[in-house]
Amino acid sequence: MTKLLNSLFSYRLRALLKKEFNETRHDRKLMFSMTVMPVVQLTLIGFALSAAVSNVPLAIVDDNRSPESRELIATLTESKSFRLAGYYSSVDQLGDAVSRGKADAGMVVPYDYARNLARDRQTTIQFLLNATNANTATISRGYAESVIQRFNTGLRNQGIHVRAQPNAGSDFARRGQVQLQPAFLYNPGLVDSWFIVTGVLGLLLILDSSLICSAAMVREREAGTLEQLLMSPASSSEIIIAKITPLFLLLFLMMLAGIGVLKLAFGVPFHGNIFLLLVGGALCILSGISIGTVIATFSKSAQQAQLLCFFVNPPLSSLSGALNPVEAMPKWLQPFTVLNPIHHFATIARGATLKGSGFMELWPNFLGLLLITLALGSLSVWRFRKQLS
Amino acid sequence: MRRIVAQARKELTQIVRDWRTLALALALPVFLLVLMSNALSLTVNELPIVVQDFDGSTASNDFIDVFRASITLHVVSWPVDKTAEAALASNAARAVLIIPFHFGRDMARGVNAPVQFMVDASDANTAKLVSAYASQITSAYTQQVGGTQAAPIQTAIRLWFNPGLSSTKFFAPGIFVLGISMFPPLLAALAMAKEGEQKTILQVYVSSISAHEFLLGKIIAFMAVALAECLVMSLLLFTSFGLSFAGDPTPALIATILYVFCVAAFGTMIGAIIPNQAAAMQAVAFGGFLLVYLFTGLIFPIENIPAGLRWISDLVWGRYYIEIVRDALLQGGGWTAMWFKVLVIGVIGAIFYASAWLGMRRMQVKA
Repeated sequence: MTKLLNSLFSYRLRALLKKEFNETRHDRKLMFSMTVMPVVQLTLIGFALSAAVSNVPLAIVDDNRSPESRELIATLTESKSFRLAGYYSSVDQLGDAVSRGKADAGMVVPYDYARNLARDRQTTIQFLLNATNANTATISRGYAESVIQRFNTGLRNQGIHVRAQPNAGSDFARRGQVQLQPAFLYNPGLVDSWFIVTGVLGLLLILDSSLICSAAMVREREAGTLEQLLMSPASSSEIIIAKITPLFLLLFLMMLAGIGVLKLAFGVPFHGNIFLLLVGGALCILSGISIGTVIATFSKSAQQAQLLCFFVNPPLSSLSGALNPVEAMPKWLQPFTVLNPIHHFATIARGATLKGSGFMELWPNFLGLLLITLALGSLSVWRFRKQLS
Repeated sequence: MRRIVAQARKELTQIVRDWRTLALALALPVFLLVLMSNALSLTVNELPIVVQDFDGSTASNDFIDVFRASITLHVVSWPVDKTAEAALASNAARAVLIIPFHFGRDMARGVNAPVQFMVDASDANTAKLVSAYASQITSAYTQQVGGTQAAPIQTAIRLWFNPGLSSTKFFAPGIFVLGISMFPPLLAALAMAKEGEQKTILQVYVSSISAHEFLLGKIIAFMAVALAECLVMSLLLFTSFGLSFAGDPTPALIATILYVFCVAAFGTMIGAIIPNQAAAMQAVAFGGFLLVYLFTGLIFPIENIPAGLRWISDLVWGRYYIEIVRDALLQGGGWTAMWFKVLVIGVIGAIFYASAWLGMRRMQVKA
């Protein structure tokens, strides 16, 4: 065994590794920020960021005040999607309530609502939505439409049949209706947090590994001990490998803790092979470490490195598809996600947990992560060597 | 007064001399505004879907054409010998429309024709959007071909304030607030922590400047930085994002003055309490970025945060400013809707200033 180790690692490398391990172990603050903080952040973000739309406050103007109109209002407000924000006597007051933010939706039932229904005539109700937030508006519009569609079906079953108006474009007088039957795969309960936490795990891995790695790389230079290291017979790649190994192990532990949070706090199902997730995570950490190393070669102090991280990390995390779908980004930005390790890891994490995908489906993302890591890693070794000479 | 101005001038000179801080102060917020307000959107365009048509009739082709014409969905080709689920598993498509055999016959007979729409729900929000779009398309199609029964109740839906459902109009004001909440306090905290770290604070103590004058000078300097950021970013908001004041702009203007004071005081307070640049930077990243990012309704509505955590957002200063800015640019509620929020920002700013003063006194004892 020792013989094998000797052939794999030179004596110099082992000595350097021992030094780095000791340094890392004694850094209490680092240990804390690597184990407790990510777990707290992941939990907080998973619970706080939720796109779910429910209990939209709905203001109502009921000009009809009949049992029929009250039935419609009850159907809407008893659903989980809307809650009653109050009755208003005029459309102006309703508009006022919506613009003051007391309600995000408004419904106006016309005075002839019940009469029209009784005479088998079509009746139109008005529905206002505060569309400031496009996402919420689109979803609540879908809710309103589906609730009213179901209400319509109920009315038809009660024997209210409205004659269709002849349509100029239709060739046939009689046509069937298309019934769209949606089936939600992988997440039939539509749990919002699953998407967020699987993305945020990759985000935290990249953010933390780049930040910590750049700090560790710069520390030696700041303290002026880098020259001592360089004077030793160790080669520059040996120095880098020794620096990276303990950080990698620490970050891997952090990822395991994160996966534990996914499983225990959010109940993310693990349909696929956990091994794929671990390999993807390891590659993701390595690419984060190489980002940190590249940043470190561009800065003279820990503070500069941290400031540079501010330039790199926000665009990296907002263009990753970790928190929102890639298709929502502008078209010209979408191809850049190929260069983003967070995007690849998020795809792997979602595939390996929620979708149960195998390597056959995920290999492009593994390849992407590998290429990013190799490119950034060789860039950092090259920059590091250039600085040394 | 003269001493306050002198102190502010000294801070501004220091900022201008370091290109990194200057870039951080002015270029990065603009960069983030452009990038993030475009990238954060949740509403999708051209979402890839796969259609499997087992019928192959004229009716089914007509129906698929309606989906092809949609802007939101984008029909991609998929080999017929592979299963529909494989398209979802390999991320080639986000949804699959399956038209069964006999679809055309059922339609012609006037029988209800079921069609399956399988959605990749690993992203629950997008799944909801897609299924809402698909059912809108389907009902439009049914109406177009003149289904046998018309709906007794029709809904006329009006979208207020943002009828084009443009996400950037919603996110750009939020990112504007995020930029102002993050960068000026970061610079202020670094400058203040540096005084403590390098012990130059001792020189301040022995000089004739009083604690209030010193703090105000620093705060005014970073208020100037924040106001410059505001100016640059609002120029961008009004030109390339096409936003304009929807109503009375005075609440937003007064709130902006109070808010830049609030964030500058926050940064100075952090720097005074934590006289260590790296630690101060982390504290600002937590308060100025993470709290504002998560608890202000920047991306997702505050109501979605579980009640056990929601109270945190009542304490986050950025939340009130985001609401004021969005109101001024999109809704136009004016003073009646916003006076309380403007007041809260002022109160929080005063609290930050008081704690900065206390922190400085403690720093004096230590030094």
